[in-house]
Amino acid sequence: MNEASLIGLLIATVSFGALLYLAALGELIAEKAGVLNLGVEGMMAIGAVTAFIAGVEFQNPWLALLIAMLSGALLASVHGLFTVGLGAEQVVSGLALTILGLGLAAYLGKDYVGLRPGAELVPVEWGPLSELPWVGPIFFSQAPVVYIALFAGIAASLVLSRTRLGLALRAAGESASSTDSAGHSVLGLRLSAVATGGALAGASGAYLTLSITPQWAEGLTAGRGWIAVALVIFGAWRPGRVGWGALLFGGTLALKTRLQTFGVDFSPIILSMLPYVLTLLILLIISVRARKRPSSAPAALGLAYRREER
Amino acid sequence: MRRIRLRLREHPLPGGQPVAFGIGLAIALFVGTLLLLGAGHDPLKIYSRMFDASLGGPDAWSITLNRAIPLGLAGLAVAVAGSMGLWNIGAEGQIIAGAIAASWVARIGGSWPGLLLILMMLVAAVAGGALLALGPAMARAKLGVNEIITTLMLNEVALRLVQWLIHGPWKDPDSFNFPLAPMLPDQARLPTLFGRAHFGLLIAAAVIIVISVAVRYTAWGYELRIAGSSEATARYSGISLPKKVLAVLVLSGAIAGLAGGVELTGTTDRLTESISNGFGFAGIIVAALALMRPSGVAAVAILFGAVQIGGQSIQTLGVSSSVSTILQAFILFGAIGAGVFSRYAIALEKDALRTTEEVQS
Repeated sequence: MNEASLIGLLIATVSFGALLYLAALGELIAEKAGVLNLGVEGMMAIGAVTAFIAGVEFQNPWLALLIAMLSGALLASVHGLFTVGLGAEQVVSGLALTILGLGLAAYLGKDYVGLRPGAELVPVEWGPLSELPWVGPIFFSQAPVVYIALFAGIAASLVLSRTRLGLALRAAGESASSTDSAGHSVLGLRLSAVATGGALAGASGAYLTLSITPQWAEGLTAGRGWIAVALVIFGAWRPGRVGWGALLFGGTLALKTRLQTFGVDFSPIILSMLPYVLTLLILLIISVRARKRPSSAPAALGLAYRREER
Repeated sequence: MRRIRLRLREHPLPGGQPVAFGIGLAIALFVGTLLLLGAGHDPLKIYSRMFDASLGGPDAWSITLNRAIPLGLAGLAVAVAGSMGLWNIGAEGQIIAGAIAASWVARIGGSWPGLLLILMMLVAAVAGGALLALGPAMARAKLGVNEIITTLMLNEVALRLVQWLIHGPWKDPDSFNFPLAPMLPDQARLPTLFGRAHFGLLIAAAVIIVISVAVRYTAWGYELRIAGSSEATARYSGISLPKKVLAVLVLSGAIAGLAGGVELTGTTDRLTESISNGFGFAGIIVAALALMRPSGVAAVAILFGAVQIGGQSIQTLGVSSSVSTILQAFILFGAIGAGVFSRYAIALEKDALRTTEEVQS
């Protein structure tokens, strides 16, 4: 293993980490408001395909990113409408959303398979910072989405912990009826959290087709949406911890394709089990500890709120 | 001032669910028509092909029923857990685990007589599915760990396990480097009943009937449903919840594992990466449309099987397979929506509070 390939691994770790972080952050926001959305994979696919199509049609990567975020938010709103609005089971609706998203993405993208990308998000150069050894290429020559992910993480962390909006949002996820009594609209809070989550998942998908693998193919998301769902638990619903987890899981994604070049005789398939196995372990540890301390999961996660049934 | 309000009914409308399913189907057909027109196809021609291929005769029915076997068993697995208010999202992985275990038996018992071999394979499949569900079951029963996430994670683990097996240790040397396990020995295949329908149909039907009766009419099933409706009531009546949770989730995994074994010996004849083919996730949808009642899964599984088989058949007409995927999603969303409305009454109500102007006038 030489220096260049190690740097390459770390660059990919950060970029896959950002990809996972965006989607996981979206899921975190929705779950904090009390809505489990298992449709991440579908929203990512929709973001990926709409970004690619918009890139080809309009040749503007930023417009493509925006369209992907709007599409993700729109798809997520279907989940919001059914679970928050009609009180349907979140698990069932979320899985249906994954099926719908993957199906729609395949349908919309079928004429774009194998096309050259019309727009790409090129790495940002930070002047002398980008020239630094190691740190430069790994942190200061990444695509803009990486910095957006970092910014989104900090913003989400601050909004959730320091603002009235964040407090109301978390309250909706802990105890909907008391949030309602306090005069906040549980419906409005939850719907906007779900839509925001969809926009972030859409951005994550856009990062795939505008930068990481700038092309479209069916099944491009390859289960990364499920890793994002796992990450939220792995990070115990905290934006910071989810960020570290994203780097760790991003590392396994980056390492997977490089095992052979490093001359390591270990199955990349077995390696790709790691995020899920680690999440299961963490979940067990959290649960054992939770018997002494209160659990960090939002108390009303997965529960529909209907005033009449209060 | 009058306004339209949704009021929760005390009892859902009788027969609401079949109607909801019908509405879902209608919505899906409407959306499908738009998609087909958008892609320049003749919807009538496509729909009649879908019907002919799935329900248009004994042969078509046999193919649809073959598809309904894994869908029904997976749906049953989810519904059993659902009767107690538990979510088994891991049927996908448990199907794989069952198929892996059955393949393992076929590898060591290649020279056994057919009946013994198939029987042992199915027993192994049941054990494999149960084993994969055991971890989440114990974590839920002893530590209160949410079973949704644990079963979901194990899906991905099981998927990678089967990928690893057929890319590596179990790869068929004669498969021209395709990731495929060797074909099962001839005597390990389930006999055919009619058309293409295989013996798994009777196995699935028997299991669905036994479990439905057990949940509906036995003391065990009664306790299960009590525990599902209210934990507190269950505790007061002396039902041991952890034991029940453990038993039900393991049973759920076992049924899903059986689905994997039956699919292997009945349909695919070899272990492949896509042995579970989304059946586990579709099973959740089947169970949800059957309102988590084990007795309802068979009918929903057959209808869903017909949609899937019909969807596959139109690919020869140049229609993207994604149209069928989208149709399934819309059936589900349509049925969920309609199902919710069957529990509500639409009422024109007078506002309890009057506005200031109303008071003044």
